Amino acid sequence: MKCDKCKKREANIEYSENINGKKQKLNLCYECAEKLGVIHFSNSFVPMFSSMFESKMPFIEEAVCDQCGYTLEDYKKTGLFGCDHCYEVFEDHIDDLLLKIHGKNRHVSQTNVKTKVNSKQTKLEELKEKLEKVIKEEKYEEAAVIRDEIKKIEGGK
Amino acid sequence: MWYDEVSKDSDVVISTRVRYARNIKDHKFPHMLNNKQKEEIIQLVENAIDKNKYQVFRLNNMDKITKGSLAERHLISKEMIDSTSGGIIANEDYRLVAMVNEEDHLRIQAFESGFNVDKCYERLKNFTDHLEEKIEFAESEKYGYITSCPTCIGSGLRISVMLHLPGLAKLHLLNKLLEQAVSIGLSVRGIYGENTNGYGFIYQVSNRKTLGISDEEIVNNIKMIIHTIIEQERNAREILLKNSSIELENEVYRAYGILKNARMLEEEEMIKLLSQVRLGIAMKLIPEVSLEKIHLLMNNAQSYSLSTIIKEELDEKMDEIERAKYVREELNK
Repeated sequence: MKCDKCKKREANIEYSENINGKKQKLNLCYECAEKLGVIHFSNSFVPMFSSMFESKMPFIEEAVCDQCGYTLEDYKKTGLFGCDHCYEVFEDHIDDLLLKIHGKNRHVSQTNVKTKVNSKQTKLEELKEKLEKVIKEEKYEEAAVIRDEIKKIEGGK
Repeated sequence: MWYDEVSKDSDVVISTRVRYARNIKDHKFPHMLNNKQKEEIIQLVENAIDKNKYQVFRLNNMDKITKGSLAERHLISKEMIDSTSGGIIANEDYRLVAMVNEEDHLRIQAFESGFNVDKCYERLKNFTDHLEEKIEFAESEKYGYITSCPTCIGSGLRISVMLHLPGLAKLHLLNKLLEQAVSIGLSVRGIYGENTNGYGFIYQVSNRKTLGISDEEIVNNIKMIIHTIIEQERNAREILLKNSSIELENEVYRAYGILKNARMLEEEEMIKLLSQVRLGIAMKLIPEVSLEKIHLLMNNAQSYSLSTIIKEELDEKMDEIERAKYVREELNK
């Protein structure tokens, strides 16, 4: 039987783990087992470490709102956000959430059309000036970013 | 008051409400605030409104019966009955009522009897625009007006129409129609009773989506759909009148008879009977009673409102006796 990891050498260690109820059985060669740390630790330790790592992932990502101290966990409990800043802090998650609720995740302005169009137009002009400048300076990466922003605003008209 | 009046399409539509959800920039939402902070929100709003036109009420100074009677007229939410840290802003005739510190800092509502979206929208927008000159609302280019619950974000606009649909119900066409309404993005719920179907054939239909859609679009969509429902209900009533006129007449007059003679009347029974009589009046089967009278009874003879008229808190039995008496006297006037 070949090693499940490198698929070249003969497997001579049978290694099984159970992470959060998900059972996995691996046949490994000595070298791969050593790289994975399997033969340095007793079998009972390895799954514990890997499962700890897994369960830690969300905590590393977890953001906290600067104004109200809210986390996404709080939102899940109440169904409400804590303040207006939450919508910036959790923007990545909120985009998906709003898409599910409304089928859209961008506002269409209608009320106060005048002021909003004005502010959009001034922003557009600013961006276009900036774009010209960076192109002259041959900063093409920056130019691409600005171009995307312009497209976004023009598309949202 | 407007809620007892009769207006456009009142045979099918009881009332129209249009509301905006708004929050004040850089402030935590109401559920994150203590009472002192909530009072600060009320003061911010109080300072921004024209006090010659609008009155401010604080819920901690208001007794439960008064709050309850406002909720029974759907002027404030049921949640506000138990609130001691919220506020209410109202114009003289209660056609504009804003709740402060409900789910959002501001839930501004405009009302009309019958089907009158444009009138409501105009009044709502006018009030809100003036407020926005004084208060900076929480808003982003990307998401529009920010609300504590993501289901209201964007325009923050919700149009709710209270419909009386006994004709469709009697022909067993109601569930299908309401399912269709839900499938095209509306939400539907019964007005009376705890479950979503409710009783008395009275339903509130409103738009569900608020983001990525302009005010104008929401207004036009709702108008179009509600007009269709009104037509369907009228057709259903025509069919009933053609095919089972005497059965229908029998049913509405029996209901009228009980209301005119009962000595004890539960709230649920009253609403159900009034709903039958309302149909009878709208179809010109009961000429001696007006729709205004039915509206008055529906509003005044629910438990809290009845207590405000009798001027004492009523236990369950007295509540039923006093209700029957009030209804009887009003109908025999």
